Amino acid sequence: MEESLLALRDLRVTVAGATTPLLGPLDLDVAAGECLAIVGESGAGKSLTTLALLGLLPPQLRASGSLRVEGRDVALGSREHITLRGGTLAWVPQDALAALHPLRSVGAQLRETLRHAGVVREALRAEALALLERVELPAADALLARYPHELSGGQRQRVCIALALATKPRCLLADEPTSALDPRVGRGILNLLDALRRDLGLALLLVSHDLPLVATLAQRVLVLHRGQCVETGTTARVFTAPSAPYTRELLAAEHLDSAPPVQSGVLLLSANDLAVRYPRATRDALAPTTIALHRGECLALVGESGSGKSTLARAVLRLLRTPTRGRITLDGVDIGALGPRALRPMRRRIGVVFQDPFASLDPRQTAARIIAEPLRIHGIGDAAQQRERARELMRTVGLDANSLDRYPHQFSGGQCQRIAIARALATDPDLLVCDEAVSALDARSRAAILQLLARLKIERGLALLFITHDLDAARALADRIAVMQDGEIVETGEASAVLSAPQHPYTRELLAARLMSDDSRALAAS
Amino acid sequence: MLSSALRRLPPTALACIGVLVALALLALAGPWLSAYAPEHPDWNALSAAPSFAHGHWLGTDAIGRDTFVRALYGLRLSLLLGFGATAIALVIGLAYGASAGYLGGRSERWMMRGLDVLSALPFLLIVILLLTLFERSLWLLLAAIGGYVWIDLARVMRAEAARLREQPFVLAARAAGASTLQILRWHVVPNLLGLALVYASLLAAQAILVESFLGFLGLSIDQPSAGLGTLLQEGTQELDSAPWTLLVPAILLVVTLACFQQLGDALRDWLDVRGAANTPDGSAHEPASATIPATSA
Repeated sequence: MEESLLALRDLRVTVAGATTPLLGPLDLDVAAGECLAIVGESGAGKSLTTLALLGLLPPQLRASGSLRVEGRDVALGSREHITLRGGTLAWVPQDALAALHPLRSVGAQLRETLRHAGVVREALRAEALALLERVELPAADALLARYPHELSGGQRQRVCIALALATKPRCLLADEPTSALDPRVGRGILNLLDALRRDLGLALLLVSHDLPLVATLAQRVLVLHRGQCVETGTTARVFTAPSAPYTRELLAAEHLDSAPPVQSGVLLLSANDLAVRYPRATRDALAPTTIALHRGECLALVGESGSGKSTLARAVLRLLRTPTRGRITLDGVDIGALGPRALRPMRRRIGVVFQDPFASLDPRQTAARIIAEPLRIHGIGDAAQQRERARELMRTVGLDANSLDRYPHQFSGGQCQRIAIARALATDPDLLVCDEAVSALDARSRAAILQLLARLKIERGLALLFITHDLDAARALADRIAVMQDGEIVETGEASAVLSAPQHPYTRELLAARLMSDDSRALAAS
Repeated sequence: MLSSALRRLPPTALACIGVLVALALLALAGPWLSAYAPEHPDWNALSAAPSFAHGHWLGTDAIGRDTFVRALYGLRLSLLLGFGATAIALVIGLAYGASAGYLGGRSERWMMRGLDVLSALPFLLIVILLLTLFERSLWLLLAAIGGYVWIDLARVMRAEAARLREQPFVLAARAAGASTLQILRWHVVPNLLGLALVYASLLAAQAILVESFLGFLGLSIDQPSAGLGTLLQEGTQELDSAPWTLLVPAILLVVTLACFQQLGDALRDWLDVRGAANTPDGSAHEPASATIPATSA
């Protein structure tokens, strides 16, 4: 085997003063022109690994181990190690907006980094333009004068990659480079990283929790679980014949079975020509839109961020502070026209679950209080009955009823989302609105929450308005799918029909963006 | 529970709390240690220098009143007025700021314009006018000082309440049909309380300062009871004959103010850092991503 570009042996990361390491022992090799993916759930130690490699660990953490870069031994934390970053090692951040200086133009930031790399003043502009072209940004000339907030998410991530390339690195460390992006944009970024790896012979260390993504990009995979490497090998081998039970679990969580369609034919919710325009906006955030949802049915609203999905959901929930146009009826009652007082009893019939599981729960309240809140609002039962109901709901959503008196920070993300679902169910609603309810969760929690929602839908005859940018989640749960773009529904139909034979070009694009996950599935099946 | 919360505080804050508790205890219990009453003149010891021999440990003033006892009574009054005014400011500021921030839109704009008008008024002049026009009483003084220091608190509370307004847990309560009052009581005010208490210690410093200032102008509570400000004013009269009558209350005032200010600053920094470390990014259990913003901030 040829010598790796980067070889790490026996890496351990420890909190100062503690004996058991947070991470490791961990061995890791990347060769030039190779992509190694580090996968695992949040908290597995993926980011710690990259930070340790870059020498950027927070001061209270200590790293030990031996690092060899291009055949030379480098002591961790030594001056030589520190100078590797911004030289041989370059980092592509997860959150490009946070990583770029908000008050300096793209050009200024590129020139600064290029000067650091030793480019002479006269050549700075030409080099900066070349870098922007290298990362496939069109109209590079105009871009130099722009500021980060004027760019789209994809453009910002490309600028970050350009910055990383400025010092002519041999190895790129990309920490979840696409998790903040829409799938379609994310795919473009990944193609770019792959092209850079091939063309420049870069070693690429890709950190991700997204298995389908890893399957198409990486040659080798390292699976981390609780700071330990549980499995490593070629991508094809790990995906087809995983040896560690944890890897098998991870892979199984990616497979979401599609739901059998339900048709009750009884109309529950309808919106007719519903439209929203925010104050001082020049166009509608939601163009006149008509949707219908039947009892016991799941309608998925699919689209990228900014496509108007959440606006539609909030308009239906009457949560917008902006007036809406059009009619919303729930079970024949025009809830769009009701005043706040008359609307209150109708609210019992709609539950809502939001994206961020931690922010959805008041940090100062116990699970019991959170779950019983709708009951207190509507004055249902006395304190003891409400607590009993909360206990029952905890069991319904698969939580231990003994943890009723715990606070949100004592639960995991998936558990918090279960509490949010329990709260939404407290008043026995007919309709559950899920606004990206599984998007912030890792693969295993996502699969579990989707199963829970599917079960509740069948057991309680619950209708679901399921908003997501994740087509796999939509496939798992939805009977019908409506695809949104720029505030309009561009396609709607039976879930299987929309996913197998998309009519609208935008739907096809969305589907193409996640072809990767099909590739990985094919790979896993072969 | 309280003791575990105390243990997590930064050392500066703990030290300040310790000094303040000691000062408060001294103000309450100290006068018993001395044989003298605060208003009672000792004709045998006029402008006596500090000494253990005659029992006037910190000396007496020109009419023979014991400086030690008088200063502690002054501290007691200043602390009482400071805490009372802070409590008033806390209630008004929290209610006003939370409502403005949560309501948003037009009501928020009008409420904040109202605050702008209030802070543009020469408030001390109005307080002085009030205190000269009406009979001076503890309650009037409390209301005047409390009414002066709540404005900044209301601004801070409004900003935080406006942030809470868009939090999913507040949206979820609205979606479940909670009324504005319920949301304010259950979610907004409890989540503002920590921040409000931190600012309260800065307010207390300000309130005590305002009270002393009024006292120095002779506008605090009528004699014979005297706050630290009144004592300072008297002390300046006897600077040549009995400098201790100025020094003792001055030191007490400086230490008290410095402690409240330090405590407020330390708590505020501590709260900011914790706020940054708890950014909800869905991976709060990932040690790396949770600690980086705190250390790089």
